[in-house]
Amino acid sequence: MSDDHKENITPLEAQSSESTTESGGSIKDIDYVRPAEVADQDLYHGHSFITKWIFCQDAKVIGVQYFLTAVFTGIVGLILSWLMRMQLGFPELVPFITAEHYYQFVTMHGMIMVVYFLTALFLGGFGNYLIPLMVGARDMVFPYVNMVSFWMFFVAVCVLMASFFVPGGPTGSGWTLYPPQAILEGTPGSGLGIILMLVSLCLFVIGFTMGGLNYLITVLQARTRGMTLMRMPLSVWGIITATALAMLAFPALLVSCIMMTLDKVLETSFFMPTILQAGEVLDYGGGSPILFQHLFWFFGHPEVYIVALPAFGIVSDLISVHARKNIFGYRMMVWAIVGIGALSFFVWAHHMYVSGMSPWFGFFFATTTLIIAVPTALKVYNWVITLWKANIRMNTIMLFTLGFIVTFVNGGITGIFLGNVAVDVPLSDTYFVIAHFHMVMGIAPLMVIMGAVYHWFPLVTGRMLSEKLGKWHFWFTFLGAYSIYFPMHYLGFIGVPRRYFEMYDSPYVTSAVGLNEFITVAALIVGLSQFIFIYNIVVSLRMGKPAGRNPWKANSLEWLTPELPPAHGNWGDKLPVVYRWPYDFNVPGAKEDYITQTTPPSEVLGAEVEKT
Amino acid sequence: MSDHTLDKLPGGYKGMATDMSSDQTAFKGVQWGKAMMWIFLLSDTFIFSCFLISYMKGRASTVVDWPNPSEVFALHVGGVPVPLLLIAIMTFVLITSSGTMALAVKYGYERNRKKCAWLILATAIGGLTFVGMQVFEWSKLIHEGVRPWENPFGAKQFGSFFFMITGFHGTHVSIGVIFLFIFARKTFRGDFDNGKRGFFTTMKSDYVAIEILGLYWHFVDLVWVFIFAFFYLW
Amino acid sequence: MHAGFIFLAVIIGSILFHIFTPWWWTDIASNWGAMDDTINLTFWIGGGVFILVCLFMVYCTFKFSYKEGRNVEYKPEDHKLEKILTVATTLGVAALLAPGLIVWNEFINTPKNALNIEVMAWQWGWQYRLPGEDGKLGTAQVGKITDENPFGINLDDPNGKDDVLVQSDELHLKTNRPVQILLRSVDVLHNFYVPQFRSKMDAIPGIITYYWFEPNKVGEYEVLCAEYCGVGHYGMRGKVVVENEQNYENWLEEQETFSSLIAKQKKIEFKTTKIAKNDN
Repeated sequence: MSDDHKENITPLEAQSSESTTESGGSIKDIDYVRPAEVADQDLYHGHSFITKWIFCQDAKVIGVQYFLTAVFTGIVGLILSWLMRMQLGFPELVPFITAEHYYQFVTMHGMIMVVYFLTALFLGGFGNYLIPLMVGARDMVFPYVNMVSFWMFFVAVCVLMASFFVPGGPTGSGWTLYPPQAILEGTPGSGLGIILMLVSLCLFVIGFTMGGLNYLITVLQARTRGMTLMRMPLSVWGIITATALAMLAFPALLVSCIMMTLDKVLETSFFMPTILQAGEVLDYGGGSPILFQHLFWFFGHPEVYIVALPAFGIVSDLISVHARKNIFGYRMMVWAIVGIGALSFFVWAHHMYVSGMSPWFGFFFATTTLIIAVPTALKVYNWVITLWKANIRMNTIMLFTLGFIVTFVNGGITGIFLGNVAVDVPLSDTYFVIAHFHMVMGIAPLMVIMGAVYHWFPLVTGRMLSEKLGKWHFWFTFLGAYSIYFPMHYLGFIGVPRRYFEMYDSPYVTSAVGLNEFITVAALIVGLSQFIFIYNIVVSLRMGKPAGRNPWKANSLEWLTPELPPAHGNWGDKLPVVYRWPYDFNVPGAKEDYITQTTPPSEVLGAEVEKT
Repeated sequence: MSDHTLDKLPGGYKGMATDMSSDQTAFKGVQWGKAMMWIFLLSDTFIFSCFLISYMKGRASTVVDWPNPSEVFALHVGGVPVPLLLIAIMTFVLITSSGTMALAVKYGYERNRKKCAWLILATAIGGLTFVGMQVFEWSKLIHEGVRPWENPFGAKQFGSFFFMITGFHGTHVSIGVIFLFIFARKTFRGDFDNGKRGFFTTMKSDYVAIEILGLYWHFVDLVWVFIFAFFYLW
Repeated sequence: MHAGFIFLAVIIGSILFHIFTPWWWTDIASNWGAMDDTINLTFWIGGGVFILVCLFMVYCTFKFSYKEGRNVEYKPEDHKLEKILTVATTLGVAALLAPGLIVWNEFINTPKNALNIEVMAWQWGWQYRLPGEDGKLGTAQVGKITDENPFGINLDDPNGKDDVLVQSDELHLKTNRPVQILLRSVDVLHNFYVPQFRSKMDAIPGIITYYWFEPNKVGEYEVLCAEYCGVGHYGMRGKVVVENEQNYENWLEEQETFSSLIAKQKKIEFKTTKIAKNDN
């Protein structure tokens, strides 16, 4: 074994060395780590092409599969957004887009981006690849179930895409799928389209329950020696809290989808009151549309935190590695993630302030919503304080994290506008809401995703992405996206409602035509500039600079496997042993500006490390 | 906080926090499959809670009279209507099967293969009986005109919620019954003694699998108690 | 060029955009100025936080850019600082929540002297019903809606007889008189929204929802549906005309009541039967 192997794994022999430290304690004492509690995991090794790359049980392969599938759906969603923006900015250029089409684009764009792109990417993509590596496990605890979970997701995507091709087309009810309109004539895709959407969502929930169980149990019960919960990177905390939210929030979505499917297929009346349509009273009666909204948003609000929390966790790791400084207030960050996760179950009806629900709920939900702003703000403070007295490398990844901070604070503040119930009254259902959620849930997490790809691409492929192309990609994306959504808030202020096929030119309000044209042009430029990213990835796969070992000089376990990119089983013969948290950057007295998690204290005796 | 602290934990919350956040496992000595089942059951609890809360909302805000469960679910024995007779028998059967399951787990850990296997079989048969009676009840109500979209006794939603909730529960019971029969066979064959590898995993079989199945079965029983209380007794 | 300059430009650009934007609120024409005031307060506090955080971030990128051997602070926690930040944020949040809840309390408690107006929403238009002389709206049901009874008013209910029916999508209101909008939908979700009045609420089939406001500026205002209701959603417009007492009374005179509608139909029925009889 070469010398650099020592950095990764401390053989048991070293622990029983008899040499002593300056203070008189033996090496054995300060390097003590509890012995293994359970036997090492026995993995299934695929040998054929199919069992190694298609029906593969290796979480890393599954992670890449999720990533690619999610990105594919994201590209579909992106193209839909171009079509929508063309209709809004230059309707005369797209006469073939009818109102029906437009609403179908709106719905599919929304559902794809929120659920099939962002959730699948963070939990299935990053979760599968990073979790076992970061906690020192060989794989997830149930690799077979993990594999099945991906294929469930794949089938769910196929069912969703199939809805484009059925008679009536995909559903055009808005991603929120509100009854009664979602299943009635007058809304596009109210036949097979809505049914396929509901079925696809049910499959998605089942698949992500299987995956989620894996992520949770792996982190709770399969960490390596020395890896306490408070030594886990914040990426893991973010993803795992999001998974816990998913386990508890997806049930409400499943139930609402089942009930709406029954309303459509069997003509039950769970959500359907007495309805008069085209002069005829329909066969429904006695149901409550607001019940659907409660169920949907009980899922829907935790859902946005399922997207946001992994982003919070990952960005903390990106900042600390590239600013060469420990994340400020790690314990507070952990509690903030967990606290935000828990509180997210108590705020759902802030999406329903003007829904006609009992007005007394408004007081309660406004209060809880504004309370949840506090831990979120603390996280923001901690990110920027991490930059204070740091040593910041202004590379592409750092640029993306700075872009995240700007867009997230912007989107978070506009959330405070909307959360304050009385302020929500004029702004609800206007473009202010659209601008808010795109900024905070579209752009900010997207900044993190892109930064994370630049950061972990060397790990997954062994090659670096081009810095030059990366910087161009960043500036186009960040400046372009900010120019789209910042001005859009003002469309909301003048009162333009959302989900309008045609912007009116009303004599009573300032014209929005010019602004809409500007936003459309910006959107198309941002969309096209993603080709820089794709080009960078494709070319760097073959011709990128070789990454070598741990190119970013990071501390966390995923960079410390014996083989890079990590092989099946991750750790070779011996599991790693962990001695510290992953944020020992620039520790006073240490030789280098980083100390990896597997470096025993005996190797850094001069360092004034804080005990973690 | 060095790793020696687990040898001598402080008391109170601090000790609990240190223990839970300690390295390797949060729940000491808990097998992966058992932890997974607990979390899955938590998620499933939320599903049934959503169903039941929706039902209670629908019932509380009905504008049309809700049918009287005691009348609708009565069995006529010798010309005399006995309210909720069938449900009472079903509840008794399911709770008893939970009892046989608990005994099966006990004998499993004691490695008493024969007793364990017979008790699993008894549980399976209890479950099967429950499903059979549920099917009988469904066919009786359908015969009387109860449909998901309407019924002759009162509010439309009565039939919708009834079929949906009992259908979901019945499906859960049926899946449990299938696994119980499979596990009974495995126990009779001695798979848990030999450590034969499972079908879907690379892990060795162990009697803990029976405890895990037992968790699921008790959950299914507990859900029934709630359905029984909220749907039939209210 | 240092990236920090571009981030600084973004922040300054945002502030300038906000100050000089031509796209700003419609002129308010109702009593809900308090909503605007709360929004302004949120701009000051929230906007202040945004600017401070981003400026601090930009400053750090300038001051602490990468230098080999730089002296970096290693300080995992600072309890005092974290406490101060928590308290300050909580105070800021409370300062926003308090006025918001006060305004909400006003919003959900309709003044006693408000005039009840039923706004009936359908795919894809509006109709209105006023209570008439007795000040009470008659009960109505969707199931009773027919061509002859377009609002589905219960024929047995005496309160309904004098209800004023406005079958066009143009509603007139008197200035400085609070109105309670009672929203009713016959098919799907809708929302009666006039930007100048600020207030809005969804109309849900199966229940009656409400909100109130007091129009205080003479003018004509467009009604926009603000809850997606199908392909006609964007075209579901209406008009509210706020006028002085004289013009309002004139308009009211011209409108039909339910009893006159019934009478008119009876006359037509009678005439038709008479003609049919004469033909025989």
